Amino acid sequence: MEEKQPVLELENVSVGYDSTAGMVQAVNDVSLKIYENTIVGLIGESGSGKSTLGNAIMHLLKNNAVLTNGTIKVMGKEVHSMNKNELRKFRWSQMSMVFQSAMNALNPVLTIEAQILDVYRSHYKNMSKKEARARARELMEIVSIDPTHLNSYPHELSGGMRQRVVIAIAIALDPKLVIMDEPTTALDVVVQRSILDKIKQIQKVKKFAILFISHDFSLVSELASKVAIMYAGRFIEVTDSKSLSHTDQHHPYTEGLINAIPHLTAEEVTITGIPGNPPNLVDLPSGCAYHPRCQFATERCKTERPVVHQIDNRDVECHLYDAVRKEVLES
Amino acid sequence: MSEAIVKESSTLVQVEDLVIKFPVRGKGEKKFITPVDRVSLEIKKGEVLALVGESGSGKTTIGRALVRLLTPTDGKIIVEGKAIDEYKGKALNEYRQTAQMIFQDPFGSLNPVKTIESHVKFPLKKHQGYKGEALDQKITDLLVQVGLTPVNEIRKKYPHELSGGQRQRLAIARALAVNPQFIVADEPTSMLDVSIRAGILQLMNDLKDDFGLSYLYITHDLASARYFGDRIMVLYGGRVMEIAESKELIKNPLNPYTKLLLAATPGSESQIDLTNMTNEPPDLTEGRQGCPFVHRCPLVTDLCKEKVPALEEVEDGHVVACHHYGSQALTF
Repeated sequence: MEEKQPVLELENVSVGYDSTAGMVQAVNDVSLKIYENTIVGLIGESGSGKSTLGNAIMHLLKNNAVLTNGTIKVMGKEVHSMNKNELRKFRWSQMSMVFQSAMNALNPVLTIEAQILDVYRSHYKNMSKKEARARARELMEIVSIDPTHLNSYPHELSGGMRQRVVIAIAIALDPKLVIMDEPTTALDVVVQRSILDKIKQIQKVKKFAILFISHDFSLVSELASKVAIMYAGRFIEVTDSKSLSHTDQHHPYTEGLINAIPHLTAEEVTITGIPGNPPNLVDLPSGCAYHPRCQFATERCKTERPVVHQIDNRDVECHLYDAVRKEVLES
Repeated sequence: MSEAIVKESSTLVQVEDLVIKFPVRGKGEKKFITPVDRVSLEIKKGEVLALVGESGSGKTTIGRALVRLLTPTDGKIIVEGKAIDEYKGKALNEYRQTAQMIFQDPFGSLNPVKTIESHVKFPLKKHQGYKGEALDQKITDLLVQVGLTPVNEIRKKYPHELSGGQRQRLAIARALAVNPQFIVADEPTSMLDVSIRAGILQLMNDLKDDFGLSYLYITHDLASARYFGDRIMVLYGGRVMEIAESKELIKNPLNPYTKLLLAATPGSESQIDLTNMTNEPPDLTEGRQGCPFVHRCPLVTDLCKEKVPALEEVEDGHVVACHHYGSQALTF
């Protein structure tokens, strides 16, 4: 069995928002391990809790959000038990994050260079300005931006270049874990692909782990080796991405997603939408949260939350597979 | 075969050399950009033309011109044999019954202080002259047709009480209220969740048959264009790069830009390494020379910089604008 230390270890993590409507569970009892040199995708619709989980890992939760249960360990250290100073050092050197909106992640009144130097100067007190500058140039070359742009301001760069800068800043201190929260969503298809290719290239060399958060099913299944699918705050399925090319033996929601995406190259394209709407976290359906939209739902799904079943390399949280499990146990 | 002949004879929308210019704010001389530069296209009755391109390619601008939210600078738009590009006042008002638009953002395109019902009630009264019980019945029918059920509950709600998918369904119902023949759908699914998108595309597909609609489907996603569009037109920098039947375009792309776009789309089989590709937006300034794709194209020659490639019909219905479309070697 794998004895290596996981880069990221989530154990029964729950995150709640303290809202006027009471405590809202945005992330509900999720567990996951990510090892070095892997890309894990996290897929979910808006409101599924995927960004909240990303922020919880970085300990960036807003005031009204709290980790209500479980532990988050990065490189074996519990993120939420660190004090402010420890956390400040730990962030970026061990784990970093790429945010969705590059324009908002960069400071509009500072040059790119100043923003990269800031990272080095605050983490390495003894580093000379000259060395930091040399490193900044290196970083720009890694992400394929002409180093002359170090003197540019964010508004002078295109959206794709800004996102490359944000990625450069995220990997500046060689972190072990990079969380990417929809890093390419606002970009054009071609730019998106070029950035993903870049991320893959850098990841291969630096061998860090990536948690790639996205709503784009086809994109994630191409990029990541393992995919966690989130629905209403829970991982309803964790699977290797290869098996996402077929629809057998998945969670009904996963199957629904696979069927909902038109294929580019197929001879005949048919798609089927998932009926209903994503659930409201304030008023979650009982039992399995997916049951109002599920074509296989039974009475039991309405009252009893399903347990996780292992099917091949997949963890699927669905009653459908109880029978399958029984067979396996009996044989 | 006979079907093809019938189709050919029934062109609904014909656009010839459409040019749209926007003034650019700045000091001194008044300058213009040309986001749409001599675009010609044709949409047949019952046909879906998918318009694919990246942001800044001019696709939305063309869509807005076709429903006359914009007045073209030059060129002709002929709908059902009538030139509509000069329409004003009453004539334009009447044209609104022929062509309607579904906008990208279902959160911004609905009136937050009006009920769901009144969104479809107004066009029914104003354009169709419905009254009393017939009006009430028609509202119910429309909402049922777009899948906004239970109707009696939903019609009294306000937009903020609906989900994104439901709002887009309402936007579709509102467009259908005037019984149009032609709908411009501007990225109708791009702001929706993945699980909802398919439902909206399916609905638009069903309505096409029920109402005998033609669509201009604007999107940046080739996969959905392939699903919904009968033909795909690829646009770059305000110019048409390639037009072909959907299947043909995906299978046999000729223009280097189409190839690039295809390679970038998830699920494509083509493997072009884009790791070091930078993205410069196309030059849209007035009076620009040559092909808009020159600064990114691997096949670029001096000819491309000087002369705009003409649209050339390579195979039946497969039209491409490129000086070097026959060349196979591509590295970006």
